[in-house]
Amino acid sequence: MFAYIVRRLLWAVVLLIVLSMVTFGIFYLIPRLGGATPETLATRYVGRAATAETVHLTAERLGFLDPVPVQYWNWLKGIFVGADYDFGAGVEHCPAPCFGYSFITHQPVWPELLDRAPVTISLVIGASIIWLVAGVTIGVISALRRGTLFDRSAMGIALAGVSLPIFFTGLIALAFFSYRLGITSPGGHYVPFSENPAQWAYSLLLPWITLAFLFSAQYARLTRAGMLETMTEDYIRTARAKGLSERRVIVKHALRGALTPVLTIFGLDVGLLLGGAVLTEKTFSLNGLGKYALDGILNNDLPKILGVTLVAGFFVIMANLFVDLLYGVIDPRVRLQ
Amino acid sequence: MTLPPEAGAEAEAAIPEAVLAGAGPTEGRSLGQIAWMRLKRDKVALAGGAFLIFLILVAIFAPLIVKYLGDPPNEFHQELIDTAGGTLAPIGRFGGMSWDHLMGIEPVNGRDIFSRIVYGSRISLLIAFLATLLSVLIGTTLGIISGFVGGWTDTFTSRLMDVFLAFPLLVLAIALAGVFPDQAFGLQGNQLRIALLIFIIGFFNWPYIGRIIRGQTLSLREREFVESAKSIGARRGYILRTEMLPNLMAPILVYSTLLIPTNILFEAALSFLGVGIRPPTPSWGGMLSDAVVYYTQPHFMFWPGMAIFATVLAFNLFGDGLRDAIDPRANR
Amino acid sequence: MNHSRSWRARGLAAVGVSAALLLAACGGGGGASSQQGSGSQGAQAAFNAASTSVVTPSDQKGGTLKFANPGDWDTLDPGETYYAWSWNFARNYGRSLMMFKAAPGKEGNQLVPDLAEGPGQASDGAKTWTYKLRQGVKFEDGTEVTSADVKYAVLRSTDKQTFPNGPAYWEAILDLPNGYKGPYKSPNANTDSAIETPDKYTIVFHSKQPFAAFDYLAQQPDTMPVPKDKDTGAKYRNSVVSSGPYKFADLQPGKSFNLVRNDQWDPATDPNRKALPDRMEVSLNVNPDDVDNRILSGDLDVDVSAVGVQPAAQSRVLQDPNLKANADNPLGTRLNYTSIIPTVPPLDKIECRKAVMYAMDQTGYQAAYGGPFAGGDLATTILPPNIPGYQAFDLFPNGQDHKGDLDAAKKSLEACGQPNGFETNIGYRAERPKEKATAEAFQQALGRVGIKLTLKPYPQGDYFAQYCGLPPYVVKNKLGLCLNSWGADWPDGFGFLSQIVDSRVIRETGGSSNMSVRIPEVDQMLDKALTELNTDKRNQMWGEIDKRVMEEAVIYPGVYSKTLLLRSKNATNIMVTDAFGEYDYLGMGAQK
Repeated sequence: MFAYIVRRLLWAVVLLIVLSMVTFGIFYLIPRLGGATPETLATRYVGRAATAETVHLTAERLGFLDPVPVQYWNWLKGIFVGADYDFGAGVEHCPAPCFGYSFITHQPVWPELLDRAPVTISLVIGASIIWLVAGVTIGVISALRRGTLFDRSAMGIALAGVSLPIFFTGLIALAFFSYRLGITSPGGHYVPFSENPAQWAYSLLLPWITLAFLFSAQYARLTRAGMLETMTEDYIRTARAKGLSERRVIVKHALRGALTPVLTIFGLDVGLLLGGAVLTEKTFSLNGLGKYALDGILNNDLPKILGVTLVAGFFVIMANLFVDLLYGVIDPRVRLQ
Repeated sequence: MTLPPEAGAEAEAAIPEAVLAGAGPTEGRSLGQIAWMRLKRDKVALAGGAFLIFLILVAIFAPLIVKYLGDPPNEFHQELIDTAGGTLAPIGRFGGMSWDHLMGIEPVNGRDIFSRIVYGSRISLLIAFLATLLSVLIGTTLGIISGFVGGWTDTFTSRLMDVFLAFPLLVLAIALAGVFPDQAFGLQGNQLRIALLIFIIGFFNWPYIGRIIRGQTLSLREREFVESAKSIGARRGYILRTEMLPNLMAPILVYSTLLIPTNILFEAALSFLGVGIRPPTPSWGGMLSDAVVYYTQPHFMFWPGMAIFATVLAFNLFGDGLRDAIDPRANR
Repeated sequence: MNHSRSWRARGLAAVGVSAALLLAACGGGGGASSQQGSGSQGAQAAFNAASTSVVTPSDQKGGTLKFANPGDWDTLDPGETYYAWSWNFARNYGRSLMMFKAAPGKEGNQLVPDLAEGPGQASDGAKTWTYKLRQGVKFEDGTEVTSADVKYAVLRSTDKQTFPNGPAYWEAILDLPNGYKGPYKSPNANTDSAIETPDKYTIVFHSKQPFAAFDYLAQQPDTMPVPKDKDTGAKYRNSVVSSGPYKFADLQPGKSFNLVRNDQWDPATDPNRKALPDRMEVSLNVNPDDVDNRILSGDLDVDVSAVGVQPAAQSRVLQDPNLKANADNPLGTRLNYTSIIPTVPPLDKIECRKAVMYAMDQTGYQAAYGGPFAGGDLATTILPPNIPGYQAFDLFPNGQDHKGDLDAAKKSLEACGQPNGFETNIGYRAERPKEKATAEAFQQALGRVGIKLTLKPYPQGDYFAQYCGLPPYVVKNKLGLCLNSWGADWPDGFGFLSQIVDSRVIRETGGSSNMSVRIPEVDQMLDKALTELNTDKRNQMWGEIDKRVMEEAVIYPGVYSKTLLLRSKNATNIMVTDAFGEYDYLGMGAQK
């Protein structure tokens, strides 16, 4: 078991490194296809009055004139031991983990990430609890009442739910509930939990519900399918024959079997969402990691993007690892792979 | 929004095994015929399928439709906009809907929404179909090889799929689409963009098909007919082509149909974020993106959103129906 | 029945969801729920009153002004910041040698001495300028401001490696020693050739060429004094030492900061500032729709970036007379225009360029930018009307309805040998929806006479350096038209025209805002104007330069930019200053 965990952890580290290399590559190597040089890359970070000399100086300062592997290595080193940056009148030490300074705002990236993470985490945790509970409940009831009106309409709505893009549902929800009716907070009005829990919940209410609607549709379908499958299994018949109450049969036996794949998917979904609820954050103007990544990409601000991508990758890989470990516990065959 | 796990999750939860004809051997109906009969009875799936055919026809005949039912998609109609009052909103209810402009007009420039939706269908369908094709080609090839050959090839390919699945795909896709220059590889402008989008969407999605096909191949490999083919001395290539592939056609078909809507949503998302198709070429995601600031005039966001919704719903209905028809045990 | 999913119910459910969406979405766009009544305190002023008068005048001290910024400052460091609204705001925490008067309308264009006692004294043919500083002006830590601090501030701003984003006038104009890299990298260089400080309160500037409009250079925030021992280079933006009536408190980069009273500020040394509010609170990176809503509800006072209301609020405000009366529509110091580039055939022939001038539908240009209120006024000259030197003329009348004079266009096309039109490309910045809409408008309008345009979007970060602003690229890619926009660095002819009509600012390596104007006669006229010390005569010359450039038909002046701004319920002394085309952030007070 221990060896299994160690192997998966090492693999996770490898994945993170590969992820960082890929991201680095995207921002340095792809523009070269279009004929970019270190100078042209630097022009994004200078103002209107830039002369060729200014551009060159900026390119030098931002390290673009070093070969790409050297730049990558410097950045990687910074994460573990910190780095020093020259700000003209003095040298600033950026403590580990140092994801560098944003090219545009000259602010260190790591504190900004820490600042935005709670928004994304709040969004995802809140929505995920809602969708898990709602989705599973509806799925179970649908499965038990297979063929009834409830089942058919629930599955119909669920089908609609998985067919709607979040940015459309979100926009309509905003237009209707926030603007027209004024009962939910309009976009962009996030309040941290530590400041005011009630306001925090209020500002996230609409994003939670919209996001949860999308996912609970999917989970309802999944749970229903899983329940239907397990309910026909032999051991359920045995349990009933033994005289157990129907409720016990469902909850203790059928549900457990049905939920295993659901929980797996849940773990993966949460991991993926933590790493990039870009669309939701853009639609509702929440200053989370996703929006940070988007701003970084649109401004070609590489340190920001690297920072977010790594954090995102970290969440995804951790989620995968967790699910794998869970399976390792549940299903011993997996450990032998 | 997690796009890939959605398709993958459904698959994992109810892995269809290639069902051999339920009826006795004397009946002699092929799998395809049986599936078709089941499909015919599923009215909802048929409705979905009919809508899809309709949509494909609309996309193909777009120029003709627009010629008779609307105005050219990039043509301005400023006289229909409230310029004097300064709001630049369409004059008239429901966003300027009229017999000339069936879905109303855009704010600011008065372009006909109906024709932009019709032309947008071309982009959405083209990219989604070709991207899916790319995913399927890569995924099927690697999945079959991996599942059939086993050993190191399998381990390597599985690890590769893990790597893809572990990445924050949307962020990387945005980054790639955002950073790509406007001309490369001899292409430029929207041609390049479309090719790029097809590549990105197709390339990032192949592990989902790959994983499923690999699983299918693994289970098929142990079946009697493969064993018997091997025992006769058939070569690997022959077995792959004549024994495995036909039995894999069913899941390939089903999961392609279920992957297409995911890809439509993916393209819409990229265009919504501004890294997809370049204006003024109409695309549904791009129209939604334009509509964000005009949320006080909801008709503008309504039509592209409904177009995406209807298309994705139709694919889902049809895909579900197809899967039911081929393997009725799944997801009843 | 075997099928557990009856088609009827599933289909109905799906239709039901669609119907719900339809219901939510429709109902017409207008339905503006005016959640706020007409309630404004005190006298209800009229629409756009603040452009010419002071709304809610008051001398009452106290209260808090709440600012919000839909984005962020480029930097709070006065030596590097380059946005007009930032310069407007910086006067609260810094004192430059000269400054724009805090007064409404045209009076706001006047330069008054701030840190200096009086306007600069010219000598040596306008190449040497002497300023005498006021005595007793103190930094927030109590040390007195001397001319050495001003010299240091100007010199550090020339270090373009540490401060790549700021204006570049000093390095171009001052007679600095060769190879000077700024005080951090060349600490021992003798810079007296450029700036001398003969005593604690005198500072003397030496420029390479005559520069009659020097006072405008002296109002830049990079003349705000910086104490050398507290300077932290590129990090100074987080710890600016104030010389003005307010100082920084609680600065959280990217999120917010406050300005509180600087107790070392002595009103006796400062006849220009009232310093009414006790406190200013500034929030950064606020959602722009949120900003509008909060101003309307009274939760916020000012959008400091003065970008104007978003389309959603614009609809509401313009349709509701009560809301409209509480809004202003100032003319900015910005021209949104399009460069017609004569290095791209067939636009090398003036008649083909004139065809473009006649054929374009200017109302489409205006609508693309937001209409007559939020977009701007139709432009016929390069200088906007509120810049001293503006002369009204219209060399290319485009019809009563301003939709273009197609006959004149066709005649011009024949004269240049392209009777059936021609093809070319139009470049614009992809991230700017207004530019995209304008490019589309051009495509439609010029198509009427057979000029076929292909849209070419480019990323805004590289637009000037790599694409439309790079002359070889433009020629190679047949970019006959490029969308452009220019806001004056300061409101005078030089501040407006120099960067966009002087052919010598064009660099073959790219980066200049001037994409199309290469007229040697104009260059000479510019130089001549800079030697004219009489302000009125000089202003007249700017107008003539404007006309000469327009005669070449290398610029299509689209709209003089206007914005729609919302007035705060809480603020007093609300006025638009022509110097920036925004609310004046120095004179505002607060009721509570």
